[in-house]
Amino acid sequence: MTAAAPVNPFVDLVLDAVELKTPLRVTGRAHWVDAGRPVEATRIASVAAHAGVVDYVPGDLTITVRGGTTLNEIHRITAAEGQQFPLDPAGPGDGTIGATIATGSFGPLAHSFGQARDLVLGVEFVTGDGKLVRGGGRVVKNVAGFDLVRLVTGSWGTIGIVTEATLRLYSVPAASVTLAMTVPDQAVLLAQRVGSILNGPLTPLRTELVSGGVASMLGLPRRHALLVELAGNSASVAAQKDSLARLAGVTEIPSGVWDRLRSIEADVAARGLPIVLRISCLPSRVPQLWTSLAGIESGFDGALVHSTPALGIIRCILPGNASLASMSGFAAGMPDVTIIYERLPAAMWRDLSPGVVSDRLSRGIMKAFDPHRILNPGILGPAS
Amino acid sequence: MTSNALSDRLESIVGERFVLRRESDLLVYNSDGLPGYRRMPRLAVFPGSREETIDVVRALAEDGTAFVPRGAGTGLSGGALADDVVLLGLHRLKRVISIDQENLRATVEPGVVNLRLNRTVAPFSLLYAPDPSSEAACTIGGNVAENAGGPHCLKYGVTLNHVISINAILPDGEIVTLGNPAGETPGFDLRGAFIGSEGCFGVALDVTVRLTRKPVAIRTMLADFMSVDDAAHVTSRIVASGIVPAALEFMDGPTIQVVESSVYAAGYPADAAAVLLIELDGIPEGVDADRDTVREICMSGGARTVTVARNDTERARLWQGRKKAFGAMGRMAPHLVVQDAVIPRTRLAEVLQRITAIGEENRLTVCNVFHAGDGNLHPNIPYNADDRDEAERVHRAMGQIMRACVEVGGSISGEHGVGLDKLGYIELIFSPESLGAMCSLREVFDPLRRANPGKVVPIHACQEWRAAPGAR
Repeated sequence: MTAAAPVNPFVDLVLDAVELKTPLRVTGRAHWVDAGRPVEATRIASVAAHAGVVDYVPGDLTITVRGGTTLNEIHRITAAEGQQFPLDPAGPGDGTIGATIATGSFGPLAHSFGQARDLVLGVEFVTGDGKLVRGGGRVVKNVAGFDLVRLVTGSWGTIGIVTEATLRLYSVPAASVTLAMTVPDQAVLLAQRVGSILNGPLTPLRTELVSGGVASMLGLPRRHALLVELAGNSASVAAQKDSLARLAGVTEIPSGVWDRLRSIEADVAARGLPIVLRISCLPSRVPQLWTSLAGIESGFDGALVHSTPALGIIRCILPGNASLASMSGFAAGMPDVTIIYERLPAAMWRDLSPGVVSDRLSRGIMKAFDPHRILNPGILGPAS
Repeated sequence: MTSNALSDRLESIVGERFVLRRESDLLVYNSDGLPGYRRMPRLAVFPGSREETIDVVRALAEDGTAFVPRGAGTGLSGGALADDVVLLGLHRLKRVISIDQENLRATVEPGVVNLRLNRTVAPFSLLYAPDPSSEAACTIGGNVAENAGGPHCLKYGVTLNHVISINAILPDGEIVTLGNPAGETPGFDLRGAFIGSEGCFGVALDVTVRLTRKPVAIRTMLADFMSVDDAAHVTSRIVASGIVPAALEFMDGPTIQVVESSVYAAGYPADAAAVLLIELDGIPEGVDADRDTVREICMSGGARTVTVARNDTERARLWQGRKKAFGAMGRMAPHLVVQDAVIPRTRLAEVLQRITAIGEENRLTVCNVFHAGDGNLHPNIPYNADDRDEAERVHRAMGQIMRACVEVGGSISGEHGVGLDKLGYIELIFSPESLGAMCSLREVFDPLRRANPGKVVPIHACQEWRAAPGAR
């Protein structure tokens, strides 16, 4: 399952852009071009067509693919060998691995397998001055040289265009089951419930709180629910399911809810682009924040909330017509958490999240890897 | 500033006792865990607090003096050697600052020893997962610098996967927070860039690490084989089976024999060609089913016997032999070269054959003891460094082994770092442009290249550096 390596076409593309002084908007399948801070670029550099498997030896549990390969394609190829790339970020499955790495995207599975930074073993990328650079390697453990893989992951294309990546794979568990539990209204009781699932002997694969609105989109009754997936060998799954059932009433639901959860935002977007943000905090703060945030479904008409308690993440999908004043008020109500805006109307960025690269190190990195400010300029905020 | 003026200045910060300047005092710091390299520091300074560390780094910055940060000096790549520059020892910063049981994290100073952190959190049924074989002596700061691994990293991941945030002082004296102890950090993963930077990017002042809940059930098994090939194939089959053991360690015949003849004897069958030490953890019902599957894979793959530790004492004994294997090799010869490379796991059997052949060609005994589940090899060669002919054969064999690993798509280091030892090999796996990019990243953190000069990336790989100050 290998293909001849083509000449990397992005080196010339970048060198041209430098010469013509035309900044590039780096994209995959362009699902997120309307998200993120406004980019001052006139040309598109899409990795979408630069796709395909470079190397896959199932016994090594690693795969090397070109940057434009979609998550769906990686899923299809690895599933045929009983394996998986365990990353389940929000968004359509036809998003590319290049964009997934660039945005550092992750979902509820990160609780068990880590985020993109934990699953990417090696990258090839083209820097803003047209250099073809590799970081990491193709083996599962590697400390040779300084870590360019972590540098590129989550850099939103500003360090380089990701043209190839080697990924860590896992076997698909022999057995798995997804269960839904009710969610106590009081924060104290919710904390106990979540704690008994995450801090006990159980080893859930993923755990997600969903608001009534989200539950309804997943085909579940319209009330807050706690979704738990258990996986492993059949003896382990059966024993854990019994333990969970002793904690509270559980209902077995189709495992397809996890894929549905990834696509709820796209369903909302079909009716108009939403505002999307995630709150990041210590896991111990989730129950109290959830209890107050789950109420915003009535405050913001059509708002949706879901949370990965183990990761300290609460994600809010709000109507796109929310006013700046209401958004500012929302953020001001939570002064001591980190709010990461995923999707905002272009005009709001300056007020709500002007930039994340104001420190000396970040500026130095941008200058070193993109000296001419060719790659997605502005997406992380002003560089100077 | 003259050397004397600088040491006077440093003494005024840390006290006279904690600055060494006489050659006889410095002798103990002229090597690390890899005794083949000797480099004499100009002087050594040992701050006793965060504040003293900051003052020392700033004094060195004002003076424009290069320095090498050092934890416990257990590193195996010559990375903590200071060649006529200042050695900055951080082992006195050993405070466990806080433990947050609810959020599974601890904040510690860089000089905290792994084992001590584990003993501190054990009463809460927690552990810090990365467990280098030197865990009884090595420090968290050193772990961060090297992105340290260990046997249980097969299931739990390496240091990179367990560090949440770092407060560090850059070589120029600026204090920075890398990562966010209470959540995500939008922007570049500066924490990720810092981990594994081998002391070239700055000095950690404190580190917030992720703690792991102790598994409720652990099954530790020893499978012995009369053929290295069989043990290698069984390793690949276990990995491919979908079971992720907590650890999957390999020891070959020469290693077994030296361990069994030492005080660390673990009861390994002395006539075996190889043993696999396999640990499974999780909930009791799950691990028992996995234990049966693994036993079946071992037996059908040619294992002579598979024994399961019946209690914690037996388990500790099985592990002692593995963890002390490097120490036991001290019985064979006065010096030991410890190699560290990674190969794709499906290539294990053929690479081990190649390593055996290389050993024979060079008339050397190679002891293989390594993290088989990760494909992370440690071919070790006991030798006498004073025997020039033998030392040359060792050097040649090591180069041949490295090349054999790179040829099958591997890496030159899985957990020990590049340091001095692997400088000559890094160009086997990275292009000049990639090495240039690494130099650029280093320059962002340390524009004057004063922290751990001359390590990780060879100077000649950085075009723009050749004429720069500090190039040696």
